[in-house]
Parts: sequence; structure tokens; C-alpha cells
Amino acid sequence: MGGQAFLEISLIISLLVIFLPLLSFVLILIGKKRGGASMAIFSISISFLLSLVLLALYWNETPILYQVNWFIIGEIEFKAGILLNNLSLLMLSLVSGISVLVHVYSRSYMKNDHNIHRYWAYLGLFCFSMFGLSISDNLLLIYLFWELVGFSSFLLIGFWFTKQAASQAAKKAFIMNRIGDIGFLLGIMIIFSQFHTLDISILFGENGLINASIIKDNLWIFGTQQIPEIWLTIAGIGFFVGAIAKSAQFPLHTWLPDAMEGPTSVSALIHAATMVAAGVFLIARVYPIFEPQVLDIMVFIGAFSAFMAASIALTQNDIKRILAYSTISQLGFMVMAMGIGAYSESIFHLTTHAFFKCLLFLAVGSVIYQLHHYRDKFGLAFDYQDIRMMGGLRKSMPITVLTMCIASAALIGFPFTSAYLSKDAIILSAFEWAENRNKLAQFLPYVMVLTSWLTVFYIGRLVFKVFFSESKILTVNQLAEIKDPPKKMSYVLVILAFFCLFFAFSSHPLSYENSWIWNAFPIMLIQRNEIFHWLIPLILTSGTIILLIIAYWIYVKRATFLISEKNVFHRFSNQEWYVNHLYNNLFVSGVEKISKIFFWFDQNIMDAIVMKIAVFFKFISRVSVLVDRYFIDGTVNAIGSLAKFIACYAKNIQTGKLQHYLSIMLFLLLSFLILFYFI
Amino acid sequence: MLSLLIFLPLIAAIIILILPNRLQNQFKYIALGVSLIQFILSLFIYFTFNSSALYAGINKESQFQLVEKLSWIRLDLGNMGMLEIDYFLGIDGLSMPFLILSALVTIVATLASWEIKTKLKAYFSLFLLLNIAVIGVFCALDFFLFYIFYELMLLPLYFLIGIWGGIKREYAAIKFFLYTLFGSVFMLLVIIGLYFSVSDPLTGHHTFNMILMMDPANYADGSIFSAVANLNLFGMPARLLAFIVLFIAFAIKVPIVPLHTWLPDAHVESPTPVSIILAGLLLKVGGYGIMRICYSIFPEAAIQSAWWLGLIGVISILYGAFNALAQTDLKRLIAYSSVSHMGFVLLGIASSTTEGISGAMLQMISHGALSAMLFFLVGIIYERVHDREIASFSGLAEIMPQFSAFVMIAFFASLGLPGFSAFMAEAFSLIGAFNSEQVNGLLPRWMAVLGSLGILLGAAYFLWTLQRMFFGQTYLKGGDDWRLKLKDLNLREKIALVPLVILTLALGIFPSLLFDKMNASILAFVQLISS
Repeated sequence: MGGQAFLEISLIISLLVIFLPLLSFVLILIGKKRGGASMAIFSISISFLLSLVLLALYWNETPILYQVNWFIIGEIEFKAGILLNNLSLLMLSLVSGISVLVHVYSRSYMKNDHNIHRYWAYLGLFCFSMFGLSISDNLLLIYLFWELVGFSSFLLIGFWFTKQAASQAAKKAFIMNRIGDIGFLLGIMIIFSQFHTLDISILFGENGLINASIIKDNLWIFGTQQIPEIWLTIAGIGFFVGAIAKSAQFPLHTWLPDAMEGPTSVSALIHAATMVAAGVFLIARVYPIFEPQVLDIMVFIGAFSAFMAASIALTQNDIKRILAYSTISQLGFMVMAMGIGAYSESIFHLTTHAFFKCLLFLAVGSVIYQLHHYRDKFGLAFDYQDIRMMGGLRKSMPITVLTMCIASAALIGFPFTSAYLSKDAIILSAFEWAENRNKLAQFLPYVMVLTSWLTVFYIGRLVFKVFFSESKILTVNQLAEIKDPPKKMSYVLVILAFFCLFFAFSSHPLSYENSWIWNAFPIMLIQRNEIFHWLIPLILTSGTIILLIIAYWIYVKRATFLISEKNVFHRFSNQEWYVNHLYNNLFVSGVEKISKIFFWFDQNIMDAIVMKIAVFFKFISRVSVLVDRYFIDGTVNAIGSLAKFIACYAKNIQTGKLQHYLSIMLFLLLSFLILFYFI
Repeated sequence: MLSLLIFLPLIAAIIILILPNRLQNQFKYIALGVSLIQFILSLFIYFTFNSSALYAGINKESQFQLVEKLSWIRLDLGNMGMLEIDYFLGIDGLSMPFLILSALVTIVATLASWEIKTKLKAYFSLFLLLNIAVIGVFCALDFFLFYIFYELMLLPLYFLIGIWGGIKREYAAIKFFLYTLFGSVFMLLVIIGLYFSVSDPLTGHHTFNMILMMDPANYADGSIFSAVANLNLFGMPARLLAFIVLFIAFAIKVPIVPLHTWLPDAHVESPTPVSIILAGLLLKVGGYGIMRICYSIFPEAAIQSAWWLGLIGVISILYGAFNALAQTDLKRLIAYSSVSHMGFVLLGIASSTTEGISGAMLQMISHGALSAMLFFLVGIIYERVHDREIASFSGLAEIMPQFSAFVMIAFFASLGLPGFSAFMAEAFSLIGAFNSEQVNGLLPRWMAVLGSLGILLGAAYFLWTLQRMFFGQTYLKGGDDWRLKLKDLNLREKIALVPLVILTLALGIFPSLLFDKMNASILAFVQLISS
């Protein structure tokens, strides 16, 4: 590696990766409506190839940083920069790779939609923002792309905006993400106020400013700057809140299941594989800021979300909703892993999850696509996303079934799949972490094991009900007519299935410690307990097999169901722990009420005071009119009248007779003389 | 140069007054031509503007640019000295951005004036008069001249609202007029007080020169506003009282809670172009006045009151947002959102940090463009069907795709989507407010935290509206009749909207376009108020 010219070429490559999708977004929206699909696929493919080039060049090399001046405020310079380290390279390749596949898949899946050019444009915007998010070096820039990701997700969830549910889901997703964004922004404010820079490489690098700051006497001190220690904690929580909103963790998770109103290809790309992983990515990016107590919160939230979502997934009937909750659950594993310090395990799971969850969605998308198509063809009426209506598709759609099974095996962490490596790694770390902790913490690994078994059950339920049980609606002849989806879609499924197996990630089928991704990131320093490394996988796998048999027995062989639908637990799970009800009653209508009160206050108090003042002045003016008319003017008039009155009498003096004048003059003269001399 | 910029509309107004009424359909082109020339001139000023620290302006007369100073009124008052009023114009980094904004918003408002159909001669002369006053306010450096321009804005606005407005136009016009007059009458008293306190060190005469008022050395010993003498008036320090009086005068314009109640009425009853000018420019006069006059002349009083100003800012942000959430009339919603957005300006100014003030400045420019855009868009619907109740529409995106696209841009830009100017502005206002405790100890950190809730509420009311009016199945209260009337954007409307989109995008992605030009001035400003 070396040479300025070489670095510049890599810079150009990185910029191309980012801006090609944006270019396609702009071009499609400005005019090229027809060639939207080709344009989008072309640009994303180039981006993908170029990001592979970058991956090959800089994987496990020293991080590369390019910066340009962005703007100056006061004496502080803000720099826009690109940071290429293992984390950003991995995200870049992962996102672009999955995007390419989803693009190709969408071409068939979305074929007959009108306004389809908007779809391709939005995908371009999404990829642009996701790439930008992955490789920016400035927290403000990351925030910018972070919100843009949310915005493109808004556009894509609401792609069928004439559907009321879709537009509501889009709004909900954006607003819930906004809550997280405020946390993120708060984190940025605190960091900026303390360090006067937002450059990630300077802040969080090996000799970063965060590590250079110290905590003493409840103060967080950096150089001459000091701020109460609580703000460091708040900054950590702020960033974490941002992450849980994007990664759909409790309590900000409710937007993700609703987001399934968008096209399934979008769900696969954005709400399963890439965007929701951005939360975990953010945690990884700013990892040094988290204090131990914040990490503990992270562990709790992650584990709780994982368990809660898995328990909800057990009873959902909408096929996409099950997968949505499964995503929340898996993201919970990653967040929890970050919390216990299993940084590389978490990122490893992020990668494997992207592939198998994307495949699950796309396979389900194929089912939906075909059922929708044939439903209209047969003239039937049923909800083509409801798993109670499905069944018996095993023989009709062999490729879909096979790939779906591989993906499900990966989800439950079956040996020889990719997630066997990554998920077991997380659970193992959880056991090792809990060993020297208090009683409460020792629960954690068992909760994760339980969650992992719940996963087996819900995905088993889905697969068995949809593919292996008897058909409920369609007849045998109709079933025979249903085929695998168009070739392009099937190819995508097969490619993804390949990445659900172990050899894409590790040379050893059963040991994550051989994985190239795991080894590329800082590894947790914790006492290694050898027993765990063979005992836990063994227990997990045997449990899995037993549960699979039970699920098969219940859903395919139709053994009597154990729990009735009226059961409290069933209802609780089916109603998604009543979180949505709670939020609607508490926050949504609460805010609505508050806003009404404010408006009432504005109208009836604020404005009324002003109007009262106006009335008061009107009154004063009335009074002054009266005073003016009857007192001041009255006085003037009175004077006038007096003059008139006097004149009336005085005019009699003017008789015109000389002797009268003379006698009056004499009289006056005499009066004056008397007054002057005698008084 | 500045005189040309200010008085060009006067020439146009005279031409319009001379021309016979049968040419009245051509008046709008004259007005448009003038605003285009103004825009070109302002662009020229922008590009030739010297942004080095040697031309920072603020409290150094020699550092102002494009200065024009002529003695205007010299009246010998015998033993009261010489009455000295100058025609004194000049710009620095605090005022220059507003020139561009004024020109741009005026163009948009002129394009929106196409919908005005009656009494065109009167309309356009008043409109141009308003234009003179607005630009004059941003250029004037003599307090007396400033006051004249400031009051001159009221007159045309009163008639523009009162004659061409909506149903309750007379009520709204008189309310607006009295409200603002209330503020400015007391301002006049302070101006006179300042005049008798300050004298020009060169001539020894009293002066209205604002820049001289910023230097404590120019105050006569024992004069009422002398910082050294620190006299009391009505039981409180005279300078603090003067600051409060001036602040209230400008705060009514901003507007702040609780002095905002004229705004919803005035905005809603105004014809579209006047709403655009009101929201796009008039509110900014308030913010500009607070910085140029309140803060610069009475810095120590400003520092003393910073906590309260910050609090008012936060209250305005939240109060405006909650009220916006409760509105059923689209135009009223946007009016309340203005209250919320201008709250960020006050919060940023109150922080007295470079970040906060840069954010406040950017917010004013950004809000100027965005509110112009929002009111223009509301005007489009209102012009077509004479209704703007949110509940009367649904699924507009289906029948007016281009219009809806612009609405989406305007809404998302206003709710602070990164990439648009409002995001940078609000982020830096908040960062400044947060930083304040550490830098100068003026504002507690919780104010920034509370203020950031405004960003969340902004998303709530804009997205809710978007979902109700533009998404979903198409439903129109007026049925098929409306469907025919609701045509998508025409060329004129697009021409008006596109520059605003470009401006807000450009400032959102390259804020240096603005920050670079005003950084030196803002540093000097912060230096002035914190010394």
C-alpha cells in the first residue's frame, strides 16, 4: 500500500460507491421513468463491485481516513470525512451485496406496480444513505445519513400510500425513530461541548479523546474542560436510545412490525438485513463512550427485547409479522452481546443475520407473490399473508421450501449453518460473562437459551404450517398448479442460501473462532471456560431437535393444541404484550389532549387577555369621548354660551345715541377714578 | 449600491402609479422585474462581500461594507444642541444574508401575487412600498432611519391585509397593526433617550448613529443610559428597562409566546403573498433587531436577561409545536409552526455562543425560505378550491403528484430532515444552547434538552398532516367539482418553488455558503456582548 495517487484512487472509488445510487435516485426522479429498474440495478452493481475492491484492498489494514473541510463555526472546523476500517468495509460490502440481490429480486416482484420508477429511486436513496452512514467519519454526517435512512425507509414503507395502514405505518416508523434521533442528537451535543470535535477517528480511535478524558470527583474532565459525570452517562444513553429506535428494541420497537406494510422486498432489505442493523452499527462506532452502567442497561434491553419478541412471534398469524418479531429478537441478541462486551460476536451475528433474515423474507415474499397471483387467478378470497390460510406448498415450490429451510436452520442456529457459529458465540460469551457476576446477571444466559428455543418453535411453526401441513383453502389440483416464483427470484434465493451456510464465514463448521469476521474485530478479554465450548452447543442443539419434533407433531400431525386461544399467555403474546395499546392510550392520545389544552389556552387565555385589553381601551376611549363631549367640549360650549349671553345684554348698550355713550363713558371714568384713588 | 437596492421599488411604484389602469395586468411583470433586479444585485453583493475579520462590522463603523453616509437633517435646537440625523446605510455579516433572503422571498411573493385580481394598482404600489421598507430596515445604521423604515412596514401591511385579505381581514389587520405599534411606540422613547445620552466624539453633537451607541465611551456622564452612571428608572436600572422595552418591540415581531397572538390571525387572513412576506421577512426583522440593536447596544442587560430569553425561546418552541398539533386549518398550523421554529432563533441568540448565534442566523434564513414555500403551497390549494381545512382533503398525492412532492420536501425540510438547512440551523441552535453553560454559564443545559423535543413534535404535526391530507384514498369534500379544480402545479408555481428548494438544500449540505460569510461578524458580535 502506498503512494498518494493510490490513495486518491481509493478515495474516488469510495465516493463512487456512495454517490452512484444517489445519482440513480436523482436521474430516475428527474426524468428517466422508463429505465428506472436498469439504472438502479446497474448503479448498485457497480457500487457492490467497487466496495468489494475496497474490501480486498483494506481489510485488516490500518484504517484509512480522508477529510475535507466542511464548514467553520467560530474557530471550530467541521470536517467531512471518510473512514475506511474493518467495520465500515464490512458494512459497505454487506449492504451493497444484499442490495444487489434485492434489486434483482424486486425487478420481478414489483413488476406490475404502477409508479414503479419511484420505487427504484427510493431504493437508490436508501443505498446512498446507508453507504454514507457506514463510512462517514463525522458524527454530524452520520446523523445526517442516519435520518436519511429513516426518511427513505419512510418513503418505502409508505410506497403504497393509498393504503391507510401503510401511510400510518410510515408515519409511526419515522416518529419513533425521531425519538431515538433526539437521543443521538443529545449525545452529539454532549460530545461536542466536551471535545469541540465530532470526528470519529479522533474521538473513538485507539488513542482517542474519549480514552484521554478522565473521571474524577464526579466530574468528567478533558484538558481544561469539565462537566458533571452524569453527562457522560447521558451521552451514552442518548446514543443507545438512537440505536434502539433504529434497531427496533424495546421500548421503541413497535414501528417495525407495522413497517411490514411496505413491499416485502423492502422489508427484506431495510427492515431485516441492513437498516435495522444500523443501530448495532452505531453502538459499535461509538463503543468507547459507554460506561459500565450503560452497558448493563444495554444487556437488559437487548435480552428483554430478544425474549419478548420471540414470545410474541409464537402466536402471530401474519407471516411477515412473525419475521418482523424474529428480527427484533435477533437484534436483541446483538445488542445484548454489545452490552456484555462481545463486540466481534455481535458484529459477526449482524453479518450472518443479514443473509438469513433477508432470505427468510424473500422466500416468504415468493410465497406471498405466488399466492397473490394464484388467488386472483382462481378467483378466491383469502388473506395471502395469513399462515392459517396456507399449507401444503412443499411440493409446489421446491426451491422456495429448500432455501426457506436452510434459512430457518440458520435462524435457529443449527450446526453447519452460519448462525450456529455466531449465535452460539453470543450465548457462550453470555455464559462466560455471567460467571463472575451477581445473581441477577446469572439469569441472563438462561434467558438467552430459552429465547433461542422459542425461536426454534416459532420458525418451526411457520415453516411447518406453510409448507408441510395440509392445505386449508387450496385444493390439490390448485396446489399442483402453483410453481416456484420466476427464475430471477429463485436464483436470488439460492445465492442467499449459500451464505447461510458455514463455509462462507469459517473454515471450521463448528468453531466460530476460525471465522474471518470474528477475528477482524477486537475480541472480548474474558476468562475462557473450555467446558462451555462443547457443553452449551450440545445442549442447545439437542433442545432444538426435540422442539422441532414437537412442533412438527403439533402443526403437521395435528396433535391437539396444548394451549387454547383464550389462555392469558396466548392472548398476551398474540396482542404483542399490549405495548401498542399502552402507547396509544398513554402517549398518542396524551399528546393529542395536551395539544388541545394548549390550543384552548391560546384561544381562551392568551388571546382573550389581548382582547380584554382591547376592550378595556375601548371602554377608556368611550369614557374619554363622554368626558370630551360633556366636560371639555361642554366647558368650551359653556364659555361660548356665556359670551353669547353677555353679548345679548351687551348689545343693548350699543344704542347708537351719543348721549348714552357719553354718560356710560363718564360712569366708567368716574368708577376708575374712584377705584384708583380711594380704594 | 444599497440605496439602489432600496429605492428601485420606489421607481417601479411610481411607474405603476402613473400608468393608466387599463395596463393593470402588466403591473405584476413590473414588480417581478424589479424583484429580479434586486435579486441579481443582492447576489452581486453576496459574491463581492468581504468576509475577512477586518470587515467584521458590528461595532466598528470603519469595518462596515457598502457604507453610504450623508447628513440628512441638521436642525439647530439652540441650547439643546444640534439635531443630527444621518442617512446612514451599511452592511456586515449579520445583515447581508437578509438582503438575499429579502430579494428571494419578494420574488416568490410577487409570483404568488398572480392570484390577486382586484385593485391592482393600489396593491402593487403598496407591495413595492413594503419591499422598500423591509430592505431599508436591514441596511439602516442610523437608529432614526431604522425606525422610519421599521414603521413604514406597518402601513402597507395594514392595507394589504385589510383590503385583500380573507373574511376576518379587518379584524386581523387592526390587531396586527395595534400589536406592533404598541411595541414600537415605546421603542421611540428609548430612541430619544439614547439620542440624548450619546454624542458623536467627532462633532460633539448628539447622534442617532447605532454604532456609536454600542460604545460605552460615547455616553455622556450622568446621562440616562450611561453604563457608568447606571441610573434607575421606575425602580430598575435604566439600561435594563430600555433593553426590555426594545426586546418587547422586536419580540412581538418574532413573535415570542406570549406576544404571538396576532400572528395566527394575521397569517391566516392575509392573502398568500402577504403571508409569505410576513413569515419570510417580517419575523426576521424581529430577530435581526434583537441582535443588531438590543444585544449590541445593551450587551450587559442582555447577558443579565439571557436566562429568561432562553426560557422564552424554549417555551415558544414547545408551545408553538403543541398548538400546531391541535390545528385543523392548514394555514394556521403553519403559522403556529413558525412560532415554534422562531423559538430556536431566540434560544440560539440567548446562548451567546458562536454556535448558537450561527444557528440562529441560519435558522432565520432557512425559515424565511421554508415558510415562504409552505405558505405558497397552502395558497395553491386555497386558490383552487377556497378551502384549506385538513379534514376536507385526503389522498392528494394521487391527484396532484408534483404538488405533493413539493409539500413533502417543504414538510420534511421544516421538520429538520438533515440535508436541508433547518436541520443545521436547529442543531446548532441547540448545540450552542447546550454549550452555553460551559462557555459562559448563561443557559442551563436542560433548556437545550427540552428544546430538542420541539424537533420531535415538529415531525409529529407535519407527518400527521401529510398522512391525513396527502396519503390514503383520495377523498375531497367538494367531490368531483374539486377534482377538476385541483390541477397540478403550473409553470409559474414551479418557478417560484424551485429556487427555494435549491436554497434550503444548498444551505443544508454546504452551510459554509452562509457561515463563511458571517463568521467574522458573529465572532465580533460574541466578543462585543461577552466583553
